[in-house]
Amino acid sequence: MQLGFSFNFSRCTGCMSCIVACQDQNDLPGGVAFRHVIKLEKGKYPSVKFSFLSLACLHCGDAPCVMVCPTGALQRRDRDGIVIVDRDLCIGCHSCALACPFGAPQYLEDGKMAKCDFCVARLEAGLEPACVRVCPCRALDFGPLEKLENIIAERASRTILESRGLIP
Amino acid sequence: MVHQVNTNRILKGKVPTEESGIEIRKTICSICNPLSHCGIDAYVKDGVVIKVEGTKENPHNEGTLCSKGAASRQYIYHKDRLRSPLLRKGPKGSGQFDPISWEKALDLIAERLQKIRKESGPESVVFYVGYPKWQRPYVKRLAHSFGSPNYCSESSTCFQATQIASRLNYGYFGPPELSKTKCLLVWSGNPFYSNTTMARKLLDARERGMKIIEVGPLITPLTSHADIHLRLRPGTDGALALGLAHVMIENNLYDREFVEKWTLGFEEYQAYVQEFSPHVAESITGVPSELIVKAATLYATTKPAGLLTSASPTVHHTNGVQNHRALTALIGLTGNFDKEGGNYVIPPNYLYIANGLIFREAEFAQSRPYSEMAPRIGEDVYPVWCRLVSEAQAMHIPNQIRTQKPYPIRALVGFGLNYRMWPGSDYMKESLGMIDFLVNIDLFMTDSAKMADIVLPACSSFERSELKTYPEGFVIWTQPVISPLWDSRSDVDIITDLAVRLTPEDPLLPKGYEVCVNWIMEPSNLTVEELKKYPAGRMVENIRRPPYQKYEKAGFPTPSGKMEFTSTILKEVGLDPLPYYQEPKLSPRSTPEVAKKFPLILTTGSRLPHFIHSRTFRLSWTKALTPHPFVEINPQDAGVRGIASGDWVKISTPRSSIKVKAEVTEKVPPGVVNIYHAYPEIEVNQLIDPDYLDPISGFPGFKSLLCEVEKTRGLG
Repeated sequence: MQLGFSFNFSRCTGCMSCIVACQDQNDLPGGVAFRHVIKLEKGKYPSVKFSFLSLACLHCGDAPCVMVCPTGALQRRDRDGIVIVDRDLCIGCHSCALACPFGAPQYLEDGKMAKCDFCVARLEAGLEPACVRVCPCRALDFGPLEKLENIIAERASRTILESRGLIP
Repeated sequence: MVHQVNTNRILKGKVPTEESGIEIRKTICSICNPLSHCGIDAYVKDGVVIKVEGTKENPHNEGTLCSKGAASRQYIYHKDRLRSPLLRKGPKGSGQFDPISWEKALDLIAERLQKIRKESGPESVVFYVGYPKWQRPYVKRLAHSFGSPNYCSESSTCFQATQIASRLNYGYFGPPELSKTKCLLVWSGNPFYSNTTMARKLLDARERGMKIIEVGPLITPLTSHADIHLRLRPGTDGALALGLAHVMIENNLYDREFVEKWTLGFEEYQAYVQEFSPHVAESITGVPSELIVKAATLYATTKPAGLLTSASPTVHHTNGVQNHRALTALIGLTGNFDKEGGNYVIPPNYLYIANGLIFREAEFAQSRPYSEMAPRIGEDVYPVWCRLVSEAQAMHIPNQIRTQKPYPIRALVGFGLNYRMWPGSDYMKESLGMIDFLVNIDLFMTDSAKMADIVLPACSSFERSELKTYPEGFVIWTQPVISPLWDSRSDVDIITDLAVRLTPEDPLLPKGYEVCVNWIMEPSNLTVEELKKYPAGRMVENIRRPPYQKYEKAGFPTPSGKMEFTSTILKEVGLDPLPYYQEPKLSPRSTPEVAKKFPLILTTGSRLPHFIHSRTFRLSWTKALTPHPFVEINPQDAGVRGIASGDWVKISTPRSSIKVKAEVTEKVPPGVVNIYHAYPEIEVNQLIDPDYLDPISGFPGFKSLLCEVEKTRGLG
């Protein structure tokens, strides 16, 4: 099984609650978070498009950070695909930061890497990740990838059928 | 060993179990306004809050929070929290204080206020409430029991002017019934950033096919969901509304039956609206005429349709009340007033929340009728305000402090007073320095608290009890999740202790918060004792919500008993009874000579999602999200001035100037710049003249004036 986050672009309003919830959960200082919100602006009015992208570690199936980590501090868990860092083994070499295309690795005051661990202790207790729980517009969700794919496929089918008047 | 590893893990992950010793206690957030005040699950370990999240069982926020509420922990435990009552020792404004006991502080306050009452009358003492708003009815009662008509609040710049406008038109008002409406006209509001509990429901409604028309100069997160966006020049809302009405009447899209049976002055209105053809409306507002026609047609022909306004954007203009009258008139014109899925009227029961429960907050707060007290501050200047709002008009305070007319103001007791809210904030600050006695009650040592003679430390919502009701019929009596920090106390306990000293003859207030709340809730059969059995809150079953179209039985609560296109009250005070359109006092059309030097329209006061006025700037989590004060400027205007994103720029008005960073963006239209207010390091409101006010409501014209922007060299 591979766990993942899903993100609904059209429901994100850039409110940044997910960032603060992550900081609260992980006792991070201001300006440091394991989740980021990127503001995108494209085009000229009236065809200008504004959108927001909330991004944390994607817990990649072929995580490049795991491959480049020289000490084995980064590991991908077999049972759910969550990529976790053992900070005792981290030497703060920043190799993972260079390898990660999404900017997920952060460095705390001790110079060592820290990143989103999918709120793994909460997951194991049956709770959702802090960022998913807080999201006021329900743009963020999480689950096994197959389940997320099904939800997205169902939503898309529904939109198509509704637009053609085939379902109410 | 395995056990230890597991315990560390759940402690680090803050998992609430017996093993971790982390307990979830229920409270509410009161950082923003009572429309939200989300339910909070406080994760408490050893008497300390170690994490917060939204309460799932609370139907209002359903487990979610905004970024401000999520930052609660930094708010509660902030190093700037006031730790004890303080007595000024240095000069006023120096911030030099000596800690004193509660007993001594309250005795001193009572002694000074009684002396001033004896010398100059009770009206010379002003009672003021800013944020949070939960203590308002109790402060109002304290003021009136003391004998002063001068209870006033931050509502002198927020929400009440929209109430005045809709009361002039209809006598009462209600929001759109979001779950049932098929077309939503959102007139200058961004609920995604100012009312996040509604945002989710708005998106749900959109996903089930509700049409959206958005009106407003800025691009908001709603714009990408809107079928039509009418991007008007700031302050021209009235002209746009009259243009929409023109199309509806011309094309016979209005509700003839409702208009004939239930309205006053339609003929004069119709004649006036004739002047606002789509082309004329376009020339004033900048909105293309074909979009005006399209929007008017969509709103008038999709039934039911709702009109969603916000608390202030339409009335933070010097022509605000008339603008808001013009746009809310569209509800009656299309027959959507008090209809299912239209704008449905439920009278508010407690702290602005309407849910059908019957409380007696207004009777409680008005412990003495205005007829038995001196005239209120602003009563001579704003007669309409005083007829329709049960508060003094606080914008007039600095003027009355200076002129001492019709009587002197000698003392002010403020809860969360912030002089920066006033246009020409330095003028208000100076005025506060002129009064004999200033008390401010706050959580933090603010710039306004520094001006005070006595400062009292209030506690946060986590540290006290509070009655809170929600539109869904959910009610909670919160119980403290932690003890008050340092020597802070609940605002209402401070008020009732002042009442013991100042108004011992008052039969309720000196008896304490619970006695007062029981009295207020009595008609609903709820009691504090009963509510205490449900620490997580409860749904009240079988609330009887009022019927639709109440006017069919009782008429409208206006002087004529009808919806008034021509207002009887405005006529009585000698103002134009029609929703008359006038340019903002400063605009490229009304003052072209000023616009030569100050060609850009300055608009301020809209929200960022992580700040609410001045309240979360001191938290590093929220402040770091947008650390520098900034102005949004269109690429066209930035280009000709050589300004790029990240540059420091100087913004000047005829009154003053400030330096902020520039953000070049299409979010604002050409010719308009938008500044976010309340950054501690700058003072947007100092750019605005203290008398730049709407003559009907006294509201400041924060959202349309004139300025110029130029590139400069940093903050120094």
